[in-house]
Amino acid sequence: MRYIYSIIKADYLQRTRSYAFLITLAVTIYAAYSFVPPPTANYTTLNVPGYRAVFNSAWVGHLSAIMTSVMLSLYGFFLVNTGIKKDIDTEVGLIIATTPITNFGYLLSKLISNFLVLLTIAGCTFLVSIGMFFLRSTGYPFHIADFVLPYLLFVVPALFFISALAIVAEVFLGKYSIVQYVLFIFLFGVITGGISSNKGNTPVVFIDPYGVSTMTTSIKNTINTQFHENIKEVSFGFIFGEKHKVNKTFLWEGVTWTNIYLFSRVLWICLGIGLVYLSSFFFHRFDFERPMSKKKKIKSHEHQHETLTIAPAGISRALLPPVVADYGIFPFIKTELLLLVRKGSKWFWLINAGVFVSMIFVPLDIAHAYILPVLWFLQVTRWSELATKEKTNRLHYFTYSSYKPLQRMLPAQILAGVILAVALALPIIVRYLIALDIYSVINIFGGAIFIVLLAVCLGIISGGKKLFEIIFFILTYAAIEKIPVTDYLGGVSHGSHSGYMATILMLIVFLGLISFSVRNYQSRHL
Amino acid sequence: MSLIITDLTKQYNKHKTGLADYSITIDRGILGLLGPNGAGKSTLMKIIATISKPTKGTLLLDGEDIVKNPDSIRKILGYLPQDFGVYPNLNAYEFLEYIAAMKGVGGTGLRKRIDMLLEGVNLTSDAKRPIGTYSGGMKQRIGIAQALLNDPKILIFDEPTVGLDPEERVRFRQLISDLADDCIIILSSHIVSDIETIADEVAIMKNGILIDKAIQSDIIKKAEGKVFEILVDNDQLTALKTKHQVINTSRQKDKTKVRYIIKSHSIEPGSIAVNATLEDAYLFLTQSNN
Repeated sequence: MRYIYSIIKADYLQRTRSYAFLITLAVTIYAAYSFVPPPTANYTTLNVPGYRAVFNSAWVGHLSAIMTSVMLSLYGFFLVNTGIKKDIDTEVGLIIATTPITNFGYLLSKLISNFLVLLTIAGCTFLVSIGMFFLRSTGYPFHIADFVLPYLLFVVPALFFISALAIVAEVFLGKYSIVQYVLFIFLFGVITGGISSNKGNTPVVFIDPYGVSTMTTSIKNTINTQFHENIKEVSFGFIFGEKHKVNKTFLWEGVTWTNIYLFSRVLWICLGIGLVYLSSFFFHRFDFERPMSKKKKIKSHEHQHETLTIAPAGISRALLPPVVADYGIFPFIKTELLLLVRKGSKWFWLINAGVFVSMIFVPLDIAHAYILPVLWFLQVTRWSELATKEKTNRLHYFTYSSYKPLQRMLPAQILAGVILAVALALPIIVRYLIALDIYSVINIFGGAIFIVLLAVCLGIISGGKKLFEIIFFILTYAAIEKIPVTDYLGGVSHGSHSGYMATILMLIVFLGLISFSVRNYQSRHL
Repeated sequence: MSLIITDLTKQYNKHKTGLADYSITIDRGILGLLGPNGAGKSTLMKIIATISKPTKGTLLLDGEDIVKNPDSIRKILGYLPQDFGVYPNLNAYEFLEYIAAMKGVGGTGLRKRIDMLLEGVNLTSDAKRPIGTYSGGMKQRIGIAQALLNDPKILIFDEPTVGLDPEERVRFRQLISDLADDCIIILSSHIVSDIETIADEVAIMKNGILIDKAIQSDIIKKAEGKVFEILVDNDQLTALKTKHQVINTSRQKDKTKVRYIIKSHSIEPGSIAVNATLEDAYLFLTQSNN
């Protein structure tokens, strides 16, 4: 048990001692602030048409907890699903594999470590939620239980289950992170769809790991009882621009924690442990050697023999062709594109191709607003590596000591990323050009440059891929939800064309400046 | 061509100093850097390779300040870091073409140059395979090939023989000797025999300070008359270690042959004076500078 504790401790410290985690916490604090919007805000997070809750401690505590439960479950998966991969990359896994720790013991320690990381973030939103109560409250008394219980009973079980899912995904799909993402988003969609389809007066606790239905059902029942209404639906999540006129305010005292709800939370936790236990039978234990066919083995021996008998030629400077100077960036772009294309499974390009072709046939506005953001998001692991791969592959010694790395290397990486984005958007670009809609074409180019620069900037600042992957996921989710403020590729109509383009341009310039300045410093301070 | 380093200091933080007022002049030929872990060898090499900025001090390459103008040395630099990596999805050709682009090397002769370098490091037959499938030694050889792509006038090799098998090490030494005619080669290694075989001059470092720099024979002279061998009973070994600096021991049935450097002027009875080697001199100088 002691070594499991040591693994958990080391893993937790390793993950939380990073700039990326600090930035995540900063983003979390802002997100927690936005979970409890004031009545004057242009969005809601929990909306009952015609009604508004008073800001008592039950409302603030529960609302913050349920938002944390859902939102952190969503992006928390992306945050923690590389615990085992880190051990592979650092080769610490090879050492662990030789210790007496069981597969289940190791995976359990990773599960708990994942859970602790997410819990740390939830701890921040918890503290912010208390601050939000004093900021938003209009004289209602403060009850700490209204904050502690929802966090304990909504957030903790949900985060535990997500931590377990991250382990299962890593065991079975460790090499295919993009497949993990797609399957997780699909599962998330199925669960939230299942919760939303419940119009009854009893919560669906056994298909709802987050506790959303428990809270929305309680609110529905409160309003129906207080105002003799028959409300069927309570909208949940960031909803922009669909504000209904508020006629009445209602007082909600919080969820009544039933035994069946508590039992369901225990079941979700047990399901998480059970899934990890089952995964432990399939865990590779860092042994990636695949048995080779006989034919291949023989070939390999012949090859080795051949290599050993080659006489070393040595290198004579005089015989080498003269060096011809070429300080252009095109060879870089070529290699960067090659690396982008070769990243990940070849089969995944079939999916890309399928989505690409679909953009030729579906209505243009759907292709632009829904399909293009998804297709671009499918490239997340490619772009997230653009400016971090030198460091992760320990090649930065070469790049930083090369001739004018800042003027040649970084622009080439950005250009390669943009070329990929634009190439993938070609069906839409061509259709817009045919329709002479230059504004939309410019927006797509702007979006391509913005998203690539965001990847480069966050990669350079954080030194890792995770931060961009999470933010890109949130941006894609928001783009599909047509939230105007996060529309980076012009999929939503904006009041002022020039204002929108100027905003994107300013963001591009800002990201570019940060990227070049920080990389300039990094290249001289290894 | 000469590289003049004056009062170079690298202060990482209040408690950690990489280099302290380090001054050295490096001329054409092979300079071997010797020193224990944390001596500042890699720090010095990184600063010369322009990927780390000194806290203070100057580095002049033929009069040009390379701290202020790093691109002046980058054009003629070949650098093999201690702990470098590769892009595993590229094959050797693609990887070297990529590095060539970084170094600003192109033209029609590039392909032939890469061919010849790969042949020189004995990787021709594996050149089309992804580098991710290479062994540690093969990756090291790719590293050596990339360092030579731009016909460098300054070559920096940080622990170049790590991961190479004995045969490859011998080949590497020959290679370096062949290249040394017209350029500065700076080479660090923990393996004294590597330095001993190929370096024209040796610089011994410790705790960020240059202890000595001279041609090998002059360094060795400093340990002359201080190195002895003696055959002792196994149970006498511990006592001997407390009195002298034991360099080497080899068991011979119930006796042990001990090579040691005297700490004081008292020589153990029965000892035989032996010729000092570079390893003896290195250990003598680093220990006596504690």
